[in-house]
Amino acid sequence: MRNQANPWITSNLPLLGLAMLPAIILIGALVYFTVWAFTFSFTDLALVGRKSVEWSWVGFENFERLFTRRGFLESLWTTIIFVFFSAIVGQSVLGFLLATALRGTSSTLKTVVEVCIMLGWLLPDIVAAFLWSATTSQTGLINALIVVPLGFRPVNFINEFALPVVTIANIWKGTAWSYLLFSAALDSVSREVVEAAKIDGATPFQRTWLVVLPIIRPHIATNMLFITIWTFTYFPLIFAMTGGGPGRQTETLAVFLYNQSFSRGNLGFGSAISVAMLLIVGALSLIYLRMLREPK
Amino acid sequence: MEPGTAPSRVLSLGLAFMALIWVSPFAWLFTNAFDPAATGRLAIPQSIGLENFASAVSGNAGQQFLNSLLIAAGTATLSVLVGIAAAYPLSRLRIPGRNAFLWTLVLLRMLPSIGVLVPIYFAAQRGGLLNQLGVIIALAILNLPFTLLLLKNFFDTIPIELEEAAYVDGASLWQIVTRIVIPMSRAGIAVVWFFSFTGAWNEFLLPLIFSRVEAAFPMSVGLYAAFGLQGAIDYGFLAAFSIVYAAPAVGVYFLLRRNMNTGFAGVGVKG
Repeated sequence: MRNQANPWITSNLPLLGLAMLPAIILIGALVYFTVWAFTFSFTDLALVGRKSVEWSWVGFENFERLFTRRGFLESLWTTIIFVFFSAIVGQSVLGFLLATALRGTSSTLKTVVEVCIMLGWLLPDIVAAFLWSATTSQTGLINALIVVPLGFRPVNFINEFALPVVTIANIWKGTAWSYLLFSAALDSVSREVVEAAKIDGATPFQRTWLVVLPIIRPHIATNMLFITIWTFTYFPLIFAMTGGGPGRQTETLAVFLYNQSFSRGNLGFGSAISVAMLLIVGALSLIYLRMLREPK
Repeated sequence: MEPGTAPSRVLSLGLAFMALIWVSPFAWLFTNAFDPAATGRLAIPQSIGLENFASAVSGNAGQQFLNSLLIAAGTATLSVLVGIAAAYPLSRLRIPGRNAFLWTLVLLRMLPSIGVLVPIYFAAQRGGLLNQLGVIIALAILNLPFTLLLLKNFFDTIPIELEEAAYVDGASLWQIVTRIVIPMSRAGIAVVWFFSFTGAWNEFLLPLIFSRVEAAFPMSVGLYAAFGLQGAIDYGFLAAFSIVYAAPAVGVYFLLRRNMNTGFAGVGVKG
């Protein structure tokens, strides 16, 4: 349709096709890698040694190991707790509350708070990990300013409360994204609707719960979709802070996948873990996309 | 709620307090970075100096800075060039299968990179690409769906009338693209380039499995390797190194914030 009217395009079709070629090759590689991940999960491919060359098909053995050996199910549970508390309870709820609270305040305060929480979001993962390891160490900020002045012995938080510490670090790091999204969403809610509810005698809580939230429902679904996927597969922060430890307390699926694939060298089993992760992420996306589409 | 009433003032105080808590972890970073005799404790420095920063940009650390720069700029440039070349035909042509391709891009954009980690490693190992070039190619592949979709959206907003006028005046396809399309979406291209740059600058996992020697580490892996060491840790150096490493990523955002508006809104019929 459009290209019939544009002679400079129709006369250069081969050239334009050629220009698309590199992108098609790279995208093709990505699709190919995805298919490969599925293929590898049925093999006993290893990182080093004989099985890195002479691997063989093992059928569903890797997937059986997911459920029969210790490790996967524990990691899945750790991941669910991590995602629930850091992404859904932490980043989403806190981001929404911040966006709501900052609507009524002066623009200076708003800018200051925004810049502060953006710093966490912008900081490279490894710097954030280093910062939080230091903050929660025995001589760190929390011990020096709170625990010791109150007369307690310094606590080594990262050892004794590893999962809560990484959860808080991730809330600190990621809230800005949810905040920005909800902030934009609240701007799209028309003032008249909220005012009308106010005149009808709705309390602030009712106005938020019954009026604002249903309107911004698509934004909530979008936010959930992205932060759940990101947090579910998030690797650097936890890995750099704890390496999955102590023991396996903070070994989320991403860390488990790394440890199995590149520390233990079981690339076949690692691929089975990544396939399981892709399937879970896919299922979660479908649920949120349904939520996005169907109006209540 | 009128400004200045009691609940609003309490709210403001609460928010200010929260902002303070949010930046408090940085206190430690700065006191240690500027203290030449830093011990890793949270303390007021006895003396202030830039020795830590000097060592954070020289020797191995300086090399790692250059490595990060190379990887980030290489990834951003490669994916933007490949992206522009494909985004223009995608935006202007109605080829069969175009929508299927665009939906594939959207799906791939959601694909967590850790899911394809093993095949990428395997392919790089077979291709002898376990080095910086390999990291750049792998990151460009992972980044391309995002780049391509954004660039196509920018090109879509350029009015076709401008290109028609240029064609009538005798411009070739090459001239139309380089003299009209690219200059008009310059701000958008800059945004995409900086996004890709920051993403690659922060990347940790791929360089971690691709880099074999310390001299080839980017800063993310270098920092991880340094603070993962047990025993004698030079906290002053690490704090300064962290600031040097974080500065471009943070700085680019504030650069971007102004550009963002021109990038998304300024591409118009102004021509």
